[in-house]
Amino acid sequence: MSLAMQRRRATAGRVWKQFRGSRQGMIGLSVLAIFIMMALAAPLLADVRELSPVYARAAGNPQWAPPGEFPPLGTDFIRRSVWAQFVWGSRVSLFVGLAATVLTILIGSIVGILSGFVGGRTDAILMRVTEWFLVIPFLPLAIVLASILGRSVWNIIFVIGITSWPSTARLVRAQVLTVKQRLFVDRARSLGGGGTHIVGHHILPNVSGLILANATLAVPISILTETTLSFLGLGDPTAASWGKMLEEAFVNGAMTRNAWWYFMPPGLGILAVVLAFTLIGRTLEEIANPRLGGR
Amino acid sequence: MHPGVTPLVEIEDLHVDFGPARAVDGASLHVDPGEVLALVGESGSGKTTLIRAIQGLQKPTSGSILVEGKPIDAKTKKAIQTIFQNPAVQMVFQDPTGALNPRQTIYEIVAEGLRIQGQPDDEAAKVGQALSRAGLRPPERFFPMYPHDISGGQRQRVVIAGAMIMEPRLLLADEPVASLDASIRGEILALMRHLVDETDLSILVVTHDLGLAWNIADRVAVMYLGRIVETGPTEQILSDPQHPYTKALLSVVPETEEREQQILVGEIPDPTRIPSGCRFHPRCPLLQSGTLAPDLAARCPVDDPGPLAVGALVGAACWAVA
Amino acid sequence: MGEPLLSVRNLHITYHRQGGSVPAVRGVSLDIEKGGSLGLAGESGCGKSTLANSLLRLLPPETEVTGEITLDGKDVLTLSPGGLRAVRWTSGAIVFQGALHALNPVQTVGDQIAEPMLVHETADSQDAARARTIELLGRVGLARPRATAYPHQLSGGQRQRVLIAMALACDPLLLIADEPTTALDLMVQAQVLALLDDLKQERELTLLFITHDLSVLTYACQRLAIMYAGRIVEEGPAWGVFENASHPYTRALAAAFPTIGDRSSRMAPSGLGGDPPTPGNLPSGCPFHPRCPLAEDGCLVEEPSLRVSGPGRSAACILV
Repeated sequence: MSLAMQRRRATAGRVWKQFRGSRQGMIGLSVLAIFIMMALAAPLLADVRELSPVYARAAGNPQWAPPGEFPPLGTDFIRRSVWAQFVWGSRVSLFVGLAATVLTILIGSIVGILSGFVGGRTDAILMRVTEWFLVIPFLPLAIVLASILGRSVWNIIFVIGITSWPSTARLVRAQVLTVKQRLFVDRARSLGGGGTHIVGHHILPNVSGLILANATLAVPISILTETTLSFLGLGDPTAASWGKMLEEAFVNGAMTRNAWWYFMPPGLGILAVVLAFTLIGRTLEEIANPRLGGR
Repeated sequence: MHPGVTPLVEIEDLHVDFGPARAVDGASLHVDPGEVLALVGESGSGKTTLIRAIQGLQKPTSGSILVEGKPIDAKTKKAIQTIFQNPAVQMVFQDPTGALNPRQTIYEIVAEGLRIQGQPDDEAAKVGQALSRAGLRPPERFFPMYPHDISGGQRQRVVIAGAMIMEPRLLLADEPVASLDASIRGEILALMRHLVDETDLSILVVTHDLGLAWNIADRVAVMYLGRIVETGPTEQILSDPQHPYTKALLSVVPETEEREQQILVGEIPDPTRIPSGCRFHPRCPLLQSGTLAPDLAARCPVDDPGPLAVGALVGAACWAVA
Repeated sequence: MGEPLLSVRNLHITYHRQGGSVPAVRGVSLDIEKGGSLGLAGESGCGKSTLANSLLRLLPPETEVTGEITLDGKDVLTLSPGGLRAVRWTSGAIVFQGALHALNPVQTVGDQIAEPMLVHETADSQDAARARTIELLGRVGLARPRATAYPHQLSGGQRQRVLIAMALACDPLLLIADEPTTALDLMVQAQVLALLDDLKQERELTLLFITHDLSVLTYACQRLAIMYAGRIVEEGPAWGVFENASHPYTRALAAAFPTIGDRSSRMAPSGLGGDPPTPGNLPSGCPFHPRCPLAEDGCLVEEPSLRVSGPGRSAACILV
C-alpha cells in the first residue's frame, strides 16, 4: 500500500531528525561510522600480508618496536605490524558483534513472541528453557561449546548467540504480554483476525521499537563477549581480532614491557565502539519512549 | 418477540459462573432487526459479562445464545474465531483511543476488517464511504492520519466506520460515549440512531446512563445482580417504572423530572453472596417502607420471583407487580 | 456578608513545555462566600482541573501563575513554603476522583486518612489520630474494619468516601471536589452527593465542585460557572443557568444530558459539532464560534468579556 510506505518513510524521517538533534546520538553515530569505514577500507589502510609472522620476519621488522620506530603503531612480539592487526581486527570484532547480535535477536524475538502470544503450555516450556540458559554460567558453557565445536569465527558467533538470546526473549515476551492486553487487539480479534494477523499487524509493530533498541544495546555486549572469548584463547586462532590482540599482548608480557602500543589500541577501540553503540541505543530508546528523556 | 421475525440475538436462560460468583444468573433477552435495546445496570450487574458472552469472549456455564437464529458455541478457540468471522455482528468499544492501534493509519484501521475477510477490489471506495457515513468528511483527508492526529469523538467515529464497513446487522456497543466529552456525546448518539433508521441495523447498547437510553433506545432491559429485573419499551419503563430498583435508579438520575430521591443503602452485593428470595430485597425501598401487604412482604426474603420469561417484551421481576 | 472565603482575581495559568507555552487558564475571577457552594463545569481542555490545583499551589513548579488567589484572607500565591503548608488541608482541601491511583496502594486507608492529621499536628498523638480516623470513616459511611483495608480491596464508591474522609481530616474551611463522582455508578453517585450535602450543612463547609456533568451541579451547588477554553463563559444561580442558559455553550452542555420524560429529547440526542478546543490552539475571537449555532461575523473578531445577562448572572457572548 503506497500510502503506508509514504507514512513509514515520514516516520523514519522524523526519527532521523530527532536523532540528529541529539548530541549523544550523533557522537555515537560518528564514532561508529569511523570504525565501520576503517573495517571496510582495511585493504586500503593496511597490507594484509603484515598479519603473517613469516612475512614480518622476512620484511625485517623489528620486535616490540614502539610507534616512533615503526609507524604508525609499532610491532608486536613476532614482528607483526600492530596497525595492521588493529585495522583488520576491527573487521572481525565488528562482524562477530553484529552477526552474533542478529542471531541473538532472531532467536530471542521468536521465542519471546511465541511465548508471550501463545501462552499456556508453550509459554511454560519456553520460559523454562529460557531460564535454564540464563542460569547456566556463561563462561563454562562457552568454553565447553568452543571445545566441542572447535575454534572458528562462525562457532564464536554461534556460542554468543546461543548464550545471549534469553534476556532478549524475556524482554520481548513482557512487551508482547502488554500489547496483547490492549483494546485494539480485542478489536482485531472481533473483526475475525487470527493469530498470524494479530502478530503481524498489531504485536510486531508495537514490539519492533523495543527489539531495535535492544539490538543496538546487544551489539556492544556481543563485541565484548567475543573479546572475552578471544582473550581466553577460545577465539579463532587464525583470525586477527582485538580480543586476540589483547590475549597475545597479555600472554607475551606486553604489560611488563610497557609496550602500550600493543594493548592500548585494541582496548580503546573496543571501548569506543561499545560506547558508540550504547549512545546510539540510548538515543533510540529516548526517541521511542520520550518519557525517558526527562520530559 | 414478534412472530415471524427472527431476532438477531436471542439469549435464553443464560448463566455465567466464575466459581462461586454467579455473574449472570438466568438472563434472557432478544434484539429484533431495526431496534435499539439498552441494557442498563450498575457495575456488578453482570451486563458486561453478558455482552462478552454474546461476543464469544466468555463461555457460558449454561443457557443458549443464538445469533441470526444459529446457536453460538464458545467452547474452543476455533469456535470463537468462527463467531468473530461473522460480519453480521460488530463491536463499538468504550475507549476509542485504546481501540485504535497507534501505529496504523485511519485507512488501515477501517480497512482492517475487509482485509481479514478477503480483499474486495474497491477497498478504497468502501473505506471512503464508511468514513463518510460516520461523519468524517472529506474521508480522503483522514486516510493518512494516525489516531493521535484526531480527537476522541473522531476516534469513536473511526471505530464505528470500521464496524459499519462490514455491513453488520447488529452492533454491540459497550458504553460507547462514556469516555467522550459531554458536548460531542449527542453527535455520536445521533449517528448511531441515524444508522439504525437508515438501514435495518440493530444495536444492543450496554450502559449505566439512563439518559442515553432515553435518547436512542426503543426498549430497555434493567439488570441487577445477574438478572434482568425489568424490561419494556423505553418510554414506559423510564416514565412509569414498576420494579422498585428501576424506580430508585430513576429517582436519582439528576436529569429526571421527578425529584423525590430514593437513595439505596450500600452497594450491589457480591455475586458470591446473592441474597435469598428476591435478590433485591435487602435494599428494596418498597419492602422497607412497610406499605406492602404482610403476605407479600413475607414472600420477598424467601421466594425468588425468578427470571423474566424468555421472549417477554414487558415485565418486572417483583412480587408486588401484578 | 463579609469577605468571601475564596476570592480569585484575574488568574492566568500557563504551562511551559518543550513545544511552547500553553495557556490553560486565561483570566478567571470568581468568589465563594463562606458556607456557599460553587459548581464549575466544563469539558476536557477547559482548564477547570488546572484551576482547582492552582488554588492550593499544586501545579508543577515551572507553571506560570499570575493573578490573585485569596483563601481565608491569605494570598495563596505569595505564601512562604511554611505558610503554604499551614494553609493546605487546614484552610482548603481537595477531593480527587476516586480512581485507584489516587490513593497509595501500599498503605492502609486508615493510615492515609491519619497522615494529614499528623503532618499538620491537628492530632496530638497516634492514638488521637486513630480515634479521629475511625470517627471520620463512620461519618462518611464506612465501617470501622475498613481502616485496615488497602485501596485495591475497596470498591470505587468506597475509595471515594475515603478520599472525602481524608480531605476532612484537618477540618478545612473550603472543600474542593474535583470530579468526585465521575467514574461512579448512578446510585453510588447519589450516595456521595448526599454525603457531601450533609457534610456541607453539618460543618458549614464551603464547596467548590468541579465536574463535566452540569445536571449534577444543579443539585449540589448554589451557583454555577461554566468554563470554556480557559475562561468563564457564564455564571449565575445554579437552577437559573441550567434551565435558562444565556450562553449558547451552556445551552448545548445542558442539552447533552437529556431530561428523562422530556419528549423533545426522545430519539433526539443533542450535541455540538466539532471538538472542544485544545488550549494551545484557540480559534480567533470567541473561541466557541466554530461550534456555535448562533455565530455571527463579529464573533470572529473579538473575544467577548463577561457581561450582565440577568440579576446576579453574567455571560460572555455578544448576543447578551
